[in-house]
Amino acid sequence: MKILVCIKQVPDMESKFKIDGDGLWYERDELAWRMNEYDEYGVEQAVQLKEQTGGDLTVLSIGPERVKETMKKALAMGCDRGVHISDDLCHLRDSFEIGSMIAEFAKDKGFDMIFTGMQSQDRGSAQVGVIVAELLEMEGITTIVGFDYHQHRITVRRELEGGVKAVVEAPLPAVVTCQLGLNIPRYPTLPNIMKAKKKEMVTVDGDELNRVGSLQQPGAMSVPVKQGGGLYLDGQVEDIAERLLAIIKEKTSVLA
Amino acid sequence: MNFELTEEQNLIRDMVRSFAEAEVAPTADERDENELFDRELMFSRLAELGLTGIVFPEEYGGAGADYISYAIAVEELSRVCASTGVTLSAHLSLGSNPIYLFGSEEQKKTFLTPLAQGETMGAFGLTEPSAGSDAGGTKTYGVRDGDDWIINGSKVFITNGGEADTYVIFARTDKDAQKHHGISAFIVEKGTPGFTFGKKEKKMGIRSSPTLELVFENCRIPGFNLLGEEGQGFKVAMKTLDGGRIGIASQALGIAQGALDATRAYVKEREQFNRPLTAFQGVQFQLADMATQVEAARFMVYNAAYRASSGLAYSQESAMAKLFASETAMKVTTQAVQLHGGYGYTREFPVERMMRDAKITEIYEGTSEIQRVVIGAALAR
Repeated sequence: MKILVCIKQVPDMESKFKIDGDGLWYERDELAWRMNEYDEYGVEQAVQLKEQTGGDLTVLSIGPERVKETMKKALAMGCDRGVHISDDLCHLRDSFEIGSMIAEFAKDKGFDMIFTGMQSQDRGSAQVGVIVAELLEMEGITTIVGFDYHQHRITVRRELEGGVKAVVEAPLPAVVTCQLGLNIPRYPTLPNIMKAKKKEMVTVDGDELNRVGSLQQPGAMSVPVKQGGGLYLDGQVEDIAERLLAIIKEKTSVLA
Repeated sequence: MNFELTEEQNLIRDMVRSFAEAEVAPTADERDENELFDRELMFSRLAELGLTGIVFPEEYGGAGADYISYAIAVEELSRVCASTGVTLSAHLSLGSNPIYLFGSEEQKKTFLTPLAQGETMGAFGLTEPSAGSDAGGTKTYGVRDGDDWIINGSKVFITNGGEADTYVIFARTDKDAQKHHGISAFIVEKGTPGFTFGKKEKKMGIRSSPTLELVFENCRIPGFNLLGEEGQGFKVAMKTLDGGRIGIASQALGIAQGALDATRAYVKEREQFNRPLTAFQGVQFQLADMATQVEAARFMVYNAAYRASSGLAYSQESAMAKLFASETAMKVTTQAVQLHGGYGYTREFPVERMMRDAKITEIYEGTSEIQRVVIGAALAR
């Protein structure tokens, strides 16, 4: 069983964001970085599958040199080796270009199973996983909240709109994109952190994998205009209650 | 000279902080209020994460990491719960490290490996009712009986007391020797006949960490359990405390950082005179002083830890780090309560607990006065 998990390094979401000099993305110099939260569930599921099958698990990340630090966490959680696709401009690339680079790397490696996060916390396109599946002609299943492997087939639970769940079965090879709550990501234990530094880390030049370019170009980035504050209801209690009830009926499904 | 942490040290901080915030912080107030030690959370979980033997070699069940990693772990635990921080510090620096430093190969295999793996918990018994800072005044005594030793006496204020499985204790074994020379160190296991626990102290702070009296009444222990050479006990104790100071300095640093973080969050939210408190320069100046002191303490603690891992002398540096970090913890937590105003004096906010927890760091494992004695005596030499 050959397993690949794709992770992205994103800023700590508590950071103060500023738009960068190009006006195309956020300023990156003074941010604290961490693993995209969705990807942590992907890593955990990949490690569990590796433990179940005795498989071989590679973690891949695209980005500048600093993404290796986030990859070390994935190695400390149980991945066997890291593949760093070096690319200082990955923040300007669209989902198709990123997906194509991953597919270009993975196409002749014989992966049986590929995990990605459902989306990234910064760009949030939720496209990369499905694009990789399409380009590699593998089964692609998104937004999974349950995962089970048995004899080269997977059974996953998908989260659909409105709280509905679907159960999907598929043969391998397959790509799944992982939703929050899929599992409980493990802490990298201290001995495993120490062992991670001895694990193999391969760097591949991103330009060599990039054969398509972006289909979309970012035009400009701006902070949304501040909308008015919340709605403040004033007046007699009975009156307020009736108006509130009307709003709840009209705007929400709480009483539906 | 390089002030940057390594990737491993950063990962260890991230891991311990995530664990501390998700699992330790939520019950810190309740454990403090009820004086509750939760062994599963405060020790067994630490063992699962590989924290109980951070600095010991892998051959003895440790993780083979350095003292800075250890300092970071204690700091991050103490940032949310000083009781959990001191549980690890007392177990590792005081209960386990003397066995690593002075134990025979057989003693390390027998006692250190399970301690490092967190199967057993360690504690340290030096202080007596009339021998605190004056450790040479130890009255507990041990007498040879064939191959065994018979111990009589008592030890007070023992962190992890009652809960720990393995105790390193000190007893006078030569009444005629000069006071520092007649003391020996012993390893005593919980459950040994004649070894019992006295009263549990009711404390101002670190209330979720148990502090008990150890009582020895004709307690017979095998000769195998003599730690180091007979009469070497004072040296064992002093060397152990050099390392222990790094643990307590890290605990103090964590408490101070926790109070600073809580205060920053509070003053950004709290409005008076139609402005958030952070808009007042007087408040900003106080935050600046707090943050600067915490940063200075951090460099002193990490420097002492770096020296300990690098085989350099660190007795002075760990004493200075412990002195400065503990006094910083007291100052910063007091200022944190002040900036919270009336709310800071209530148990609605964690800074009240942090201020109570900070005080002990100026007292145990060598009071601030004793640290000044250590530092000053070396300067006067």
